[in-house]
Amino acid sequence: MREVAVVSFAQSPCVPADREHDMAELVQPVIREALDAAGLDRDDVDFFASGSHDFFEGRTFSYIESLDAVGAWPPISESHVEMDAAWALAEAWTWLQLGEGDVALVYGIGRGSLAADLDQVMPAQLDPYLLAPLRPHRDALAGLQANAMVEAGLTSERHLAEVVVRCLGAATANPAAQRSGRVRVDDLLAKPYVASPLREHDVAPQGDAAAVVVLAAGPAARRPAGRPAWVRGLDHRMETHYPGVRDLTRAGSARMAAARAADQAGFSAAEAEVAELHTEYSHQEPLLVTALGLGGAEVNPSGGPLAGRPATATGLVRIGEAARRIMDGGAERAVAHATNGPALQHNLVCLLAADPA
Amino acid sequence: MTLPEPVTTMAGPLRMDYTYVAGAGRSVFLRGLAGRRVLARRCPGCSRVYVPAPELCSRCLLPVGPPFELDGRGVVSTFCVVNFPFPGQAHEPPYVVAHIQLDGADTRLMHLVREVAPERVRIGMRVEPVWVPDAELTASAASIRHYRPVVPADA
Amino acid sequence: MSPRAEWRLAVPDGGLAGEGFSKVGRGMSSRAGWRLAVPDGGLAGEGFSKVGRGMSTALAVVGVGQSRQAKRREVTIGALVREAVDAALADAELGFADIDAVVLSKTPDLFDGVMNPELYLADAMGAVGLPVTRVFTGGSVGGHAAIFGAHLVAAGLARRVLVVAYSKESEGNFTWALSRGLPFSAHLGAGAGGHFAPVIREYIRRSRAPEHIGWQVAVNHRRNATRNPYAHIRRAGITLEEVRDSPMLWDPIRYLESCPSSDGSCAVVITGAELAERAPRPPAWIHGMAWRTETGHFAGRDEVNPRAGRDCAAEAYRQAGIADPAREIDVAELYIPYSWYEPMWLENVGLAEEHRGWRLVDDGRTAFGGDLPVNPSGGVLAGNPTGATGLLRFAEAALQVRGLAGEHQVDGARRAVGHAMGGASQFHALWVVGSEAPA
Repeated sequence: MREVAVVSFAQSPCVPADREHDMAELVQPVIREALDAAGLDRDDVDFFASGSHDFFEGRTFSYIESLDAVGAWPPISESHVEMDAAWALAEAWTWLQLGEGDVALVYGIGRGSLAADLDQVMPAQLDPYLLAPLRPHRDALAGLQANAMVEAGLTSERHLAEVVVRCLGAATANPAAQRSGRVRVDDLLAKPYVASPLREHDVAPQGDAAAVVVLAAGPAARRPAGRPAWVRGLDHRMETHYPGVRDLTRAGSARMAAARAADQAGFSAAEAEVAELHTEYSHQEPLLVTALGLGGAEVNPSGGPLAGRPATATGLVRIGEAARRIMDGGAERAVAHATNGPALQHNLVCLLAADPA
Repeated sequence: MTLPEPVTTMAGPLRMDYTYVAGAGRSVFLRGLAGRRVLARRCPGCSRVYVPAPELCSRCLLPVGPPFELDGRGVVSTFCVVNFPFPGQAHEPPYVVAHIQLDGADTRLMHLVREVAPERVRIGMRVEPVWVPDAELTASAASIRHYRPVVPADA
Repeated sequence: MSPRAEWRLAVPDGGLAGEGFSKVGRGMSSRAGWRLAVPDGGLAGEGFSKVGRGMSTALAVVGVGQSRQAKRREVTIGALVREAVDAALADAELGFADIDAVVLSKTPDLFDGVMNPELYLADAMGAVGLPVTRVFTGGSVGGHAAIFGAHLVAAGLARRVLVVAYSKESEGNFTWALSRGLPFSAHLGAGAGGHFAPVIREYIRRSRAPEHIGWQVAVNHRRNATRNPYAHIRRAGITLEEVRDSPMLWDPIRYLESCPSSDGSCAVVITGAELAERAPRPPAWIHGMAWRTETGHFAGRDEVNPRAGRDCAAEAYRQAGIADPAREIDVAELYIPYSWYEPMWLENVGLAEEHRGWRLVDDGRTAFGGDLPVNPSGGVLAGNPTGATGLLRFAEAALQVRGLAGEHQVDGARRAVGHAMGGASQFHALWVVGSEAPA
């Protein structure tokens, strides 16, 4: 495989509701920041890939508006996934393997706040004949999964609260975090359920943000100051759709993606010092720690999604945050995870390292 | 025992409510319309004049300059005649939808052209905006009800 | 996309390419930051064997499947998709276990109300345990998906990719979905055609094309559809007068010059040379492929002959080693949703000179029996499941060069173009496929 690295990462602060900027205005300063940090110009970018989704934006063909921020003139090589932008990064990483170009800019825009009520929206992700008519509310499937975790002895409500305390505490050092602070386990446990055993703080808060990751191969990967974070392995896998058929306490697809990524990387997630996991719910942390085979990594030092979940940018932010730890010299190896769909049906794992091989 | 009739369709009604964020650039234009003004902005990089203007020129990626007013008149650059009914239609066909090149602008505005028989609309026809009454002006493109020929004889 | 056809030599520090390359070692490692390319194939042959897996090889389509296009009220979305998937796998004589990755193409989720359909369709597509990506780039999405599928093989990330596309717009109300007024906007009620009709009018003005050209294209495509069992709309015996007399929708576009809204699905299997050579039926070799996007809203944009389309086609022809596309291409499947887009796209993709595309139509050259048949399948006018339409064009081009287009086979088709467009003519995708492996 061609050696590809993350050479910069930028994000806008995740805010509960941005009512000032349209998509292009939201992402443009982040693109500028990421290119500046990489020492690159828009003309150096050979390929653009993005991720966003109409059902968060509330308009059909919404992503087209974002292209106004990219400078698509003269015409560019570009693609888009109607998914979390982590999958746009996967597409860009694939494209860079071809050797047609050396720099890819990946952006994700996620606005969880535009939908007045995500209970109207999220059931649309389900089988329209058998599941959507049940209209489970947005956290219902996660609640089932969390409950299964507790029943199986894989976690407890207290443990979930500890996860939240740790994440919100870590987020105090993250200027992009939407939510942060020092909270106490017992105070959290005193709150009511939203989908037992999940409480409001166990659910990653929806917010609005844009994120950009610049990938480079060849000489462009080595040019900027500071060290790049090499993408040593990247894989994603999907499970069957029906929650009743899956073992919700295990994310088999995450395990498989981690194993495939490890084959490519020559090391596994067990050796990562840092792990950024796309945990939309606190119970997914112990679940993924096991599924990915983490061996003592610091999990979600950014605070993770429990400190802010900008819809379709959330997974890309995980990759960016993991890469940042390496670029800052704080880690030699890191793992990032992204998810698509309810209850971890589809999972992406990315292994990053300070060394190219 | 007789088997039940197979289900052939099921209604899956969806209703989703969203907030629409106009954005900084669009808001300048919309506020102009609320004040009965057509506001344009020029890109300092390519000198092109945009109406309505985004915050950034999508070619140069530079912030566009401050707004200035145009008189709103222009020329039909191209058009079509919508001739058939469909659900949710606001106007009764036939009606003309045109790309209008405003005097002083480099982009074209899409709007209705009325007060003229559709078959008399021509490329190059000069048109002017017809505003709603002052009391109905809002920050919306609907503040301009439609365009009409400047020279009534053309109608 | 074959490096054997087009390699560029780049040696930044002036050393000998061959020497430097052997130092680089396995794969296309960029440790030395080189892109090795040797036009005459000399050192390349040697270097290529050292590269091994991961370096792009020739790529081919070895299976094509599609569903009937129609209002398909008797099947679920999953079943509609499965029709095409089953047919593509059967054509390639493969099973689900042979597929390494799935790419799904679909237009806005609002058209049928299913969000992130790749999730629900995991089982229908045989995607459980596989990497899955759902692409969306406006109406060109089927083309973009096929190209991304090919990239996965070229990058060495998959040996066989299943590219799937569908639309089941009968589940929703398509016109409503497209016409929902946004706040603050003037409610113009233009609809899809209302966007393209003014552009067509401008083409007619520039090219001085006579008015019957659009009608002739409609007749050609609709007659072609009678030879395609999958087409939605088949009108045998259609005449120029019928088209001319059909209701005007968005002047100058008439009813019989417009595409329908259809349900339908399509799937293709793409693989590399080694596995393509073992395929049971002739492969369609990918000689060149490209995508280009241009922003929609800048002043001075030419929507009649967009540069992104010209650049896209030029890049694909360059990869394919085609210097004179009008002579070297035998058949074209183009994204023509309204009849006048035939002459416009012929010019845009370099199959006709500027302002002369309409003459090819007038001279009968683009009819089924002509020397450059366009849309022998009946094209978009005969069926438009928007999420699949682009892939159908790419797939129909493949069927032509494989000799498997049945009744609508163009005799002697050896090189074909598949083309897709999206947005306000902003997104363009195109591939050139051929009956022979690229040189």
